[in-house]
Amino acid sequence: MSNAAEAVPEVINLSAGEKGFVDEIKALGATHILDCIQCAKCAAACPMALAGFPFFNKRVIQAILLGLKEMLLDDTSIWACQSCNRCTEVCPRKVNPFEVMQAMRRVAVREFALPTLAIEGIKSLYDVGHAVYLAQAHENRVKVGLPQKPPSTVAHPTALRELQALLEQTALSDLGIIPMGKSGVKESCEV
Amino acid sequence: MRVGFFVGCNTAFNRPDLEKAVRYAFPALGVELDDLEGQSCCPTWGTMPSIDLAGWCAVGARNYALAEEKNLDMITVCGSCYGSLAESRHKLLSDPELKARVNAMLKSIGREFKGTSRIRHAICYLYKELGPEKIKEAVRHKLDGITIAVQPGCHALWPSEVYEDKEEDTFHPKVLIELCEALGAKAPYYSRLLDCCGMGGMRSTDMEKSFKLVEKKLNSMKEEINPDLIVTACSSCLIQLDTAQGFLQKDRKINYEIPVLHYMQLLALCLGAEPGQVASLGKTNVQSVVNKILEG
Repeated sequence: MSNAAEAVPEVINLSAGEKGFVDEIKALGATHILDCIQCAKCAAACPMALAGFPFFNKRVIQAILLGLKEMLLDDTSIWACQSCNRCTEVCPRKVNPFEVMQAMRRVAVREFALPTLAIEGIKSLYDVGHAVYLAQAHENRVKVGLPQKPPSTVAHPTALRELQALLEQTALSDLGIIPMGKSGVKESCEV
Repeated sequence: MRVGFFVGCNTAFNRPDLEKAVRYAFPALGVELDDLEGQSCCPTWGTMPSIDLAGWCAVGARNYALAEEKNLDMITVCGSCYGSLAESRHKLLSDPELKARVNAMLKSIGREFKGTSRIRHAICYLYKELGPEKIKEAVRHKLDGITIAVQPGCHALWPSEVYEDKEEDTFHPKVLIELCEALGAKAPYYSRLLDCCGMGGMRSTDMEKSFKLVEKKLNSMKEEINPDLIVTACSSCLIQLDTAQGFLQKDRKINYEIPVLHYMQLLALCLGAEPGQVASLGKTNVQSVVNKILEG
């Protein structure tokens, strides 16, 4: 019966896990990942688990411990993390599951497995100094009695240049995921 | 009293009526705002924090440097800005190696991060520095007879370890409730009060799953306390709860609409601000509740 066969979950081949993956994650900020005992308090508090994303905090940690890097890169769950930090608040082992999520994202970025919206947000951050930006916002700003531009990098080219000089010293410049050095203000970006 | 106003992206570009409300309410209560000219994005979670830990902290540290040069703390009405800036500061102050690395980067632009200025959550700042009593005395319009569903927002609460402004019990928050009560409203408990709004990364990744969370939350509010108004402490929660309702109505998931305001907008209205300036850019219809407020 084909239906019954489809209902059998995929068997994970543990020997296919990537050795040393957990060390990479530790080096990228998830210092205490090995303290996780899979008690699932983080999962019980996680909005991603409630919303139905397959790789919420507890499962991300277990997948990393098993070296299942490709499986995590194939799924978009890690980008749905709300950074709400309930997991960090309730973890009895001080694992800081949110740091694990962030470290996993840093791996994904190195592998260019990041969503288009994230790239747009980064480009917008570099181009205008704001990850979320709406060029047409000036109309609404004026309507409510504010200046066309907020007092940020948008209104201060020297400050924007400062920010860009900082960003040019980060991993962004090695990755080459956005054009740097030439600034062009884009129309909008809502992340 | 004087603080730096960290405006943040969503407030400046999506909901400038909220920015206007902040600029009205704080001075009306005797708190002077400094613009911290040249500030940037905090930066938020899906960008630098997801790419480069030191790079994230460097952008945050540059914003802090602007406040430190003026010897000011910063306030923000955005949960993401509060969370990102509080966390990057905590990391810088607890990791000397990271701080040295970030300061080496900042030196190239003639800045330095010292760690003398703090990021404050605007709502908690009101609660701690002014207090519900002072607010109660200052308002011109009272909210008698109005029921509010509060949405404190994740980043006002967790991780409490890194926050300057925190609740006594983060899983039973009371700051926003008491501040709404100070205006004369009722703000009863509902069972999904702590639930996430689903904005941010979740909405960008899967809008359907994100809206499913909002639907659960809205139904909990509607069925349990039937509020006149939702009041948030976070600009992201404001945008999500305000905009999601139209989509949910269109998909026949909900058959009601609850107006949504950020607490700063509600406060500005109660202090006498012009509704067209401080509460005019939302998708939900706030007119009837604004009329009620002005009558109070």
